[in-house]
Amino acid sequence: MSYGEREAMTGLITSLIVVALFLWHLSGQHGDGVFDGPEALQVWARMVLLLVAWSIGIAIVVSIGFHILYGMLTGEKPDDRRDERDRDIERRALTWAWYLLSFGLLGVIIDLAMGATAFRAMNLVLALCAGSEIFNDGVKLWLYRRGA
Amino acid sequence: MAIENRIRRLRFDAGEMTQKDLADRVGVTRQTILAIENGKYAPTLDLAFRIARAFGVPLDQVFTFQGD
Repeated sequence: MSYGEREAMTGLITSLIVVALFLWHLSGQHGDGVFDGPEALQVWARMVLLLVAWSIGIAIVVSIGFHILYGMLTGEKPDDRRDERDRDIERRALTWAWYLLSFGLLGVIIDLAMGATAFRAMNLVLALCAGSEIFNDGVKLWLYRRGA
Repeated sequence: MAIENRIRRLRFDAGEMTQKDLADRVGVTRQTILAIENGKYAPTLDLAFRIARAFGVPLDQVFTFQGD
């Protein structure tokens, strides 16, 4: 497994863990009525900042854990080189993810125009960001697996 | 893919050079050499020349264009 492939794998695992944790935290807060007041957006924004902090910490832990586990299971010294094929795969995955994000944002704007609340729109934007990140890593892994 | 290659044959002729050895010589990962050999990835001109130089042969002895 190349460096780029391992990076895509750890990125995907990190994103899934962060999204799961965030949804769990969000549903708990929602149940407590935290988002019912006039300061709902501020509370939400603080939660997103917390999410960013979690992401950094979880990314470090997953990356180190995966590196150690990979070495133990395969017995090979990881190749940390990044070459032109890695950059090509990264560019292709990023292009696809960018399309997803762009059309998704257009959908959110249409939703807003049809009367959706700002709170709902912000949640959709956040979900789109997380979704496009997961999609980006998923496409990268798919391209690596098919040997592109 | 319109570009075919003889890398596997050239590796064999070069004393059964491994994909890893070739990858190290030209500065890419073993997976990239594998992808090129299998015709799944078309290398840049720069890498193509480095591969040819690693075998000590002209470029057209490594890669051939099969398209129209």
